[in-house]
Amino acid sequence: MWLIMDVAFYAGILFYVGAALMALRHLRSANGEALDLGLRLSTAGAACLAVTFVCRWAVFHRPPMTTMTDSLNLLILFATLVMLWVLRKAAVRALMCFYVPPLTLLCLINAGVAHRYLHQAPRPLPSAPLMVHVGLVFLSYAMFFLASMTSGAYIFQTRHLKRHHTSGLFHRLPSLEELDRTLSGLVSLGYPFFVVTLILGMLWAWFERDLLGTHWWLAPKVLSSPLMVAFYALAFHARRSGRLRGPKLAYFVFIGFSSLLLMYVALTLMNLRAYNFWGTPT
Amino acid sequence: MSLVVVGLSHHTSSVELRERLAFTAQTLPGALLELRKRLDKAGVVILSTCNRVEVYAHHAAMPEKEVCQKIRAFLADWHHLAEEEFRAALYEQEGAEVVGHLFRVASSLDSMVVGETQILGQVHDAYLASQSEQAADKVIHSLFQKAFSVAKSVRSQSSIGEGKVSVSSVAVDLAVSIFMELANKTVMVVGSGEVGELTLKSLVSRGVRNVLVVNRSAERAKALADAYNGEAVAFADLQECLHRADIVLTSTAAPGFILHAPDFERALRLRSQEPVFVIDIAVPRDVDPASAELDNVYLYNVDDLEQVVNEHIVARRKEIEQCMAMVERSVEQFARWLYSLAADPTIASMAKELDTIRERELEKTLVALPDLTEKEREDVRYLTQRIVKNILQNPMTQLKQEIRHHDPHTVIHLVKRLFGLKDT
Repeated sequence: MWLIMDVAFYAGILFYVGAALMALRHLRSANGEALDLGLRLSTAGAACLAVTFVCRWAVFHRPPMTTMTDSLNLLILFATLVMLWVLRKAAVRALMCFYVPPLTLLCLINAGVAHRYLHQAPRPLPSAPLMVHVGLVFLSYAMFFLASMTSGAYIFQTRHLKRHHTSGLFHRLPSLEELDRTLSGLVSLGYPFFVVTLILGMLWAWFERDLLGTHWWLAPKVLSSPLMVAFYALAFHARRSGRLRGPKLAYFVFIGFSSLLLMYVALTLMNLRAYNFWGTPT
Repeated sequence: MSLVVVGLSHHTSSVELRERLAFTAQTLPGALLELRKRLDKAGVVILSTCNRVEVYAHHAAMPEKEVCQKIRAFLADWHHLAEEEFRAALYEQEGAEVVGHLFRVASSLDSMVVGETQILGQVHDAYLASQSEQAADKVIHSLFQKAFSVAKSVRSQSSIGEGKVSVSSVAVDLAVSIFMELANKTVMVVGSGEVGELTLKSLVSRGVRNVLVVNRSAERAKALADAYNGEAVAFADLQECLHRADIVLTSTAAPGFILHAPDFERALRLRSQEPVFVIDIAVPRDVDPASAELDNVYLYNVDDLEQVVNEHIVARRKEIEQCMAMVERSVEQFARWLYSLAADPTIASMAKELDTIRERELEKTLVALPDLTEKEREDVRYLTQRIVKNILQNPMTQLKQEIRHHDPHTVIHLVKRLFGLKDT
């Protein structure tokens, strides 16, 4: 089982690297076959990561969701699944060039730290709602991640249109309207998931406050969550009401997700991700 | 075996000459029948477009020179012209050169506008016409099928066809890169100019159904609106109706700007910031360039469109080299298959020659052995047949293999000399 887990994990990374190379090849030479192959390789990569997930669960008899490798695995897996769902339409398939290389970068970061975490037992999640909470967090993050990459494509297209440079990749990317629809669709789906998962998390933390300490709600991660909700709520409602559309929405979403990512990295580096930071558990 | 193409194109002839040598869809079947009759049932395809008239022919036995000469005579007779009138503009190619030429033509690498898509359809139609007249033989069939597959690969594996190269098609292309579907979009045409109407026509052909026509002359506005099933709008209401348009096409003779940034600002507010594509092909310009500073307003004037056209032409030229390499690889592959067909008659004559020797020597031996029973004679005959068969097996296999990896003419020539075979 250990061997299968290791092979599946590293093979998955290799598949993603292959997919990223295919995406770059398409960027360079408009090769349609490279795009199709890239999609197949990403699917194979996701399948391998799913096998890793199942193997870890089977080996440690608990859902692998808490180590850094598990978190990145889940994020990449969900992002790939959502990506495949988005790219099912041929008209938007070239967006793969914006999705797969960043996903591969995450894979490579994961490969870099995996030697520490891959064979380490994940912390147990005390209840089923908490598992759903963590799963939904990653699902919504995956959607925000793809939304921010789509907004990158939107900004790319807008800048080219505004500057009257319309050769190369410009022709292969979907129309602005299609990109806008994909972007707002991803935000509209990710936002409710994010809200639901936060409510689930807060309910669980309230009922199980003995585990997290009395001041769990003062943890930086918890305090930043309403900020993120407010941010995506603004994006969601402004887009729906037509007040925020086009390049502004794209920049807004891109900057929003970048801030989320930076905050996550900063909290991790400063070791501030624990819930009982301000107090010890009772 | 001979495979030839005889023809003329925009590279070698004037449009007047091409017109005189052209075949119409109506005359093509008759021409194919006549040509086949003259070429002793060769496989033929006639490709006749506005930029080229070409005859492709394959004959199993007739020499290339004779096939070309008969095609020239056919062209002259069919079009009632003297051969001298078009001889200088004609090009004639043979063997692998024909393969390369057709692959380049079908892939639009030999077109006037490199990367255009029309030619592939025209080559396909020419092939279908030949097929329906039962004028395509095995080689012609394989050649054209391969040409279609090469053309598709060139298009899908390169960006040769990306980006349009005329002002009106670039405008339509840009509209498509902004809007998902043009069918539910509204085009507002302000003024009436030739390029403007051409662009409107292109937009309508791509699915635009809602047209608003604004003109200082109510009559002209109504006439154009009626032509496109649209709605005429008074010039005074231009700013008021601006928010209804997804695409604004202006080509008036006004001396100054007729649309300013605040007009678009207001229109964007009214249309919930949905993007507007503005094509200003008027000189002097109709739209204040400051409008382009607004988010969701994409403004292109004539110079901008020309710039895009030039960019596309440069991009296509850059792709030609890569596409040529792809075509060359396919030509090599196809030529090997083609020449392997040439090995068949050589193999047949090799077998025949050895069998003749076998029969001759066997008869001599049998005469010298009169005591043999009938069964023993049969056994000896069978033995000689097996020996010849075994001797031939390896050379036949090797010949087919060598022909794929070396120059087929040289290999065949060498085998013929080794076995003392005559040319077939």
